Amino acid sequence: MSPRLILKNLLAHPLRSILTLGSVALAVFLVCMLQAVVTALSSATSAASSQRLWVQSAVSLFVDLPLSYESKIAGVAGVETVCKFQWFGGEYRDGGSFFAQFGVDADTFGPAYPELDVVDGSYDAFAGRRDGCLVGQALADQYGWKVGQTVPIIGRIFPRVDGSAWDFVIQGIYRAKTTAVDERTLYFHFDYLREAIEQGAVRMEPGVGVYLVDLRDGAEPTAVMSAIDALFENGPQRVQTTTEAEFARQFVTMLGSVPVLLRSIGGAVLFAIFFAILNTMLMAARERTRDLGVLKALGFTDRWVFVGLTVESLLLCVLGGAIGIAVAFVLSLGVAKAIASFVPGFEIAGESVALGMGLSIALGLVAGCVPAWNASRLKPVAALRAED
Amino acid sequence: MAFVPIRYNWRSLFVRRSSTALTVVSIGATVAVLAAVLALQQGFATLLTERGREDVAVILRTGAGAESESGLSREDSELLIKESPEFAVDAEGRPLASAESYLAVRLRKTDGGETNVPIRGVQQGTFRVHGDDLRVREGGRNFAPGSDEVIVGWRIAERIRNCGLGDTLRLNLTPFKVVGLFEAPGAFESEVWGDAERILAALERPVYSRVIGVLRDGVTAADLQERLAADKRLSVKAVDERSYLSGQTEALSGVFLGLGIFLTLVMGLGAVFTGINAMYSSIAARTREVGILLSTGFRPFAIFVSFLLEAGFLGLLGGIVGVLMVLPLDGVQTGTTNFATFSEFAFSFRITGVVIGGAVAVAVALGVFGGALPAWRAARMEVTTALRRH
Repeated sequence: MSPRLILKNLLAHPLRSILTLGSVALAVFLVCMLQAVVTALSSATSAASSQRLWVQSAVSLFVDLPLSYESKIAGVAGVETVCKFQWFGGEYRDGGSFFAQFGVDADTFGPAYPELDVVDGSYDAFAGRRDGCLVGQALADQYGWKVGQTVPIIGRIFPRVDGSAWDFVIQGIYRAKTTAVDERTLYFHFDYLREAIEQGAVRMEPGVGVYLVDLRDGAEPTAVMSAIDALFENGPQRVQTTTEAEFARQFVTMLGSVPVLLRSIGGAVLFAIFFAILNTMLMAARERTRDLGVLKALGFTDRWVFVGLTVESLLLCVLGGAIGIAVAFVLSLGVAKAIASFVPGFEIAGESVALGMGLSIALGLVAGCVPAWNASRLKPVAALRAED
Repeated sequence: MAFVPIRYNWRSLFVRRSSTALTVVSIGATVAVLAAVLALQQGFATLLTERGREDVAVILRTGAGAESESGLSREDSELLIKESPEFAVDAEGRPLASAESYLAVRLRKTDGGETNVPIRGVQQGTFRVHGDDLRVREGGRNFAPGSDEVIVGWRIAERIRNCGLGDTLRLNLTPFKVVGLFEAPGAFESEVWGDAERILAALERPVYSRVIGVLRDGVTAADLQERLAADKRLSVKAVDERSYLSGQTEALSGVFLGLGIFLTLVMGLGAVFTGINAMYSSIAARTREVGILLSTGFRPFAIFVSFLLEAGFLGLLGGIVGVLMVLPLDGVQTGTTNFATFSEFAFSFRITGVVIGGAVAVAVALGVFGGALPAWRAARMEVTTALRRH
């Protein structure tokens, strides 16, 4: 069948073609979105640095390590610097919006994170001011924050005795060069927190959530990891040192069945749409039995008929898929903002596009083949006799 | 006015059975996805509504939104239990109150990976507070006070390593023996429970996390809160258990509901598209029959109703198929991390009446929506043109 005939066939039933196109577009759109969520959820592991190790309590992520561990870890061969990390878990604006806050050591944090790019203000200004903080671009955009502005945060883990908020002054806004760092975090000075505790403004014991270790160039990570673990084997608190990839993976496996669930939903969507399209294609071919008989009587070979019908279905599905991907791409820009606090780094990336396109081609081929096969085996005489 | 006999539609569906089957399967699969997400949300929501008593007060440190963020010293906990007139007392005059420690500990899952499993150290008072709600399953028993024994919520017994009955679970360095699996309302079933003192010692925790207590008749958590707020010795706050728990599950529940609505809208639209296609083809192939119906005196409206019914019936069949597809999911265990507590939360798919009713209703609606336009077109056919078609 000539390309023109294929086109005419598609246009003969404009409503049907549009609706089929629409359902393929919807399916591909949905699969792209779900895939993007799964990718975003596991993206942190892929961009992890091999230069950084994380030291946490061997028992629980929620148990602090003693402050005294810092100098001991720094003494291990292969360790360049050590940076204290403390999860703050505070609330901004009555908890209506959540983002992470960490207390860090300014002198070692920046050098350990070359991915961090301060685009407004400066890192030095942050390092030089006790109550200063660094915020991600995404956070600054969301709340309209500017450098120099004060961000009040109510401590939930570290409530101030007088019930007041912690005031952090923005000294820099950063962008991330890789997904290993997300742009929705506020970093402040660990020492600011420690001083407040020591002055009695907070009734808590000072401790460190995790230690970030930046490796010396050429250091063997596994050797350093076991050396640090061995250091505290006999307490007072045992530690578990992991690579950054492993540390990030820990958070991904916590999601449990969620990625599997999203993938199954995607699979079911395709299954449903596949039957719907197959149905449409079968019906379309059946209605055209007589036309096909005419074609065959005119001398078109069985193979021509088979290829023609398959291409027709393929065309419809690929076009639908392209629309679906385009819609997903446009909508994802808005969606990414809406779900940023649950799923940071949500975007329709190459992986999702490839998946969507691959699936629409497969869909078109399979859904086209069945009716095309039937049609190619038609006897011209029988086909001509058929009612429509 | 005479309506077209329903048998006509029934037979039409049967005559075109391969097309009918494909339409039913595609509507069914759409509905199955919706039903599955709904079943998940139901499983989650049931846990939410079954639990949480308004007559139980939960006391946390001021500012803490969850147990994991809270800490109460031994003295404060003692003081709260012994000197709170708001708490009810049992027959022996002991307050129905208890201090508990809570820490999510990193444990290995049976299918690989690690997760944070809540370990709750409880005083015997907890069993007096939650006495009727908690049941240790056949074959096991409760832990003996002061011993290195634990009981495990049945939902995580198979999900987490070393949590089966008779297993030895190492917490930090101390081995604990699992002596029972328990059932309880809500999130407790995703936890490991042991003697408060033993758990605190094993995990090297200096403080309790919360105090719970049964409120006397006529006293509310707000009354308790009012007195505690005025007490300068303490920096704590009290809420009732129901609001405490719903605060912890709101976020995750919202995610499921959002996902469900999003999928319903997108997939529903897709199903309407395919429904319209199927009905159009089906009616187009029957143009002559429509002509005959019109010429034998059926009103266009009767024909419209007839085809609409047929579409609705297709939807109904699809709905039944969809529900049958998800039925095996009923009771299947799943779990994820609740971001409010950052710890493991296991629950199961629940195919409830809401799920079945919702799925079938959506399926019928999809059929009717998809059939409306084609049915309308069929009803408006000219008798002569319709009959002329071969």
